[in-house]
Amino acid sequence: MQQSEDAAEPRTFASVLRAQQSMVFSVAYHFLRDRASAEEVAQDVFLQLHKRFDEFESDAHISFWLRKVASNRSIDYVRKRKSQGAVGLEDAPVPSVDVQPADHFLNRRLQVLIGSLPEKPRMVMILRYQEDMMPEEIASALDMPVRTVKSHLQRSLAMLREKIDRSMGDVR
Amino acid sequence: MMDDFEKQLQGAFQRKEPSPFFEARVLGAVKRQARERRASVRMRWATAVAAVLIAVVGSAWQHQRSERAREDSAGKEAKARLELALRITSVKLQKISQKVEGI
Repeated sequence: MQQSEDAAEPRTFASVLRAQQSMVFSVAYHFLRDRASAEEVAQDVFLQLHKRFDEFESDAHISFWLRKVASNRSIDYVRKRKSQGAVGLEDAPVPSVDVQPADHFLNRRLQVLIGSLPEKPRMVMILRYQEDMMPEEIASALDMPVRTVKSHLQRSLAMLREKIDRSMGDVR
Repeated sequence: MMDDFEKQLQGAFQRKEPSPFFEARVLGAVKRQARERRASVRMRWATAVAAVLIAVVGSAWQHQRSERAREDSAGKEAKARLELALRITSVKLQKISQKVEGI
């Protein structure tokens, strides 16, 4: 019988859904920047999880699998929309953010800039800073070499720093 | 070690909650999916059973047909043999009759 690692009660699909919905939804939401699309992708991910639920041996395995599938599904979703001639996400409106007023401007600006990154570097940034994943874990989740992940992180960070510094200069 | 800028990035990427109905919607979709899967399994079984039935009935019909054809051809053969025997008998009887009339 499958057991949660940190609790005595048996692991059920409903308990995993409750515990992981915020993580899966947030990966999709930060990437797609649209609540409805993010919920659609997240629902798809959980339906896929339900089909293979008995194959998982630990909560860590489930978490890793969910991050990997949520990332890839989000990237596929954008590509599918682009191939159908939909508006690019770069042009989508910035969602409202629940943050302190002092951080509001910077967070909005960061989200716009991250939204303008190509798909893979954008997902690398989300997994690094939302999920606090190490480059090795990101490489494994996105099926790319570790050095590519590190290079995406370095280049994206440099680009973001430069643009943020420039826009702060403009404000001053 | 993260610097202030990276900490700011973490702030921008804080986890968000989906809508309050998300969990119920996923559980509903899971139930629907399970129902559809069961229906699809039932349909596959029904198709397999129907295919087996068609094969059994078809081969029985074919067997019956070939049996009938075999019987028909055996009947025709017997009829031909009987006709030949009757013709031979008739010829012999005719010869006997001619001999009897000659006496």
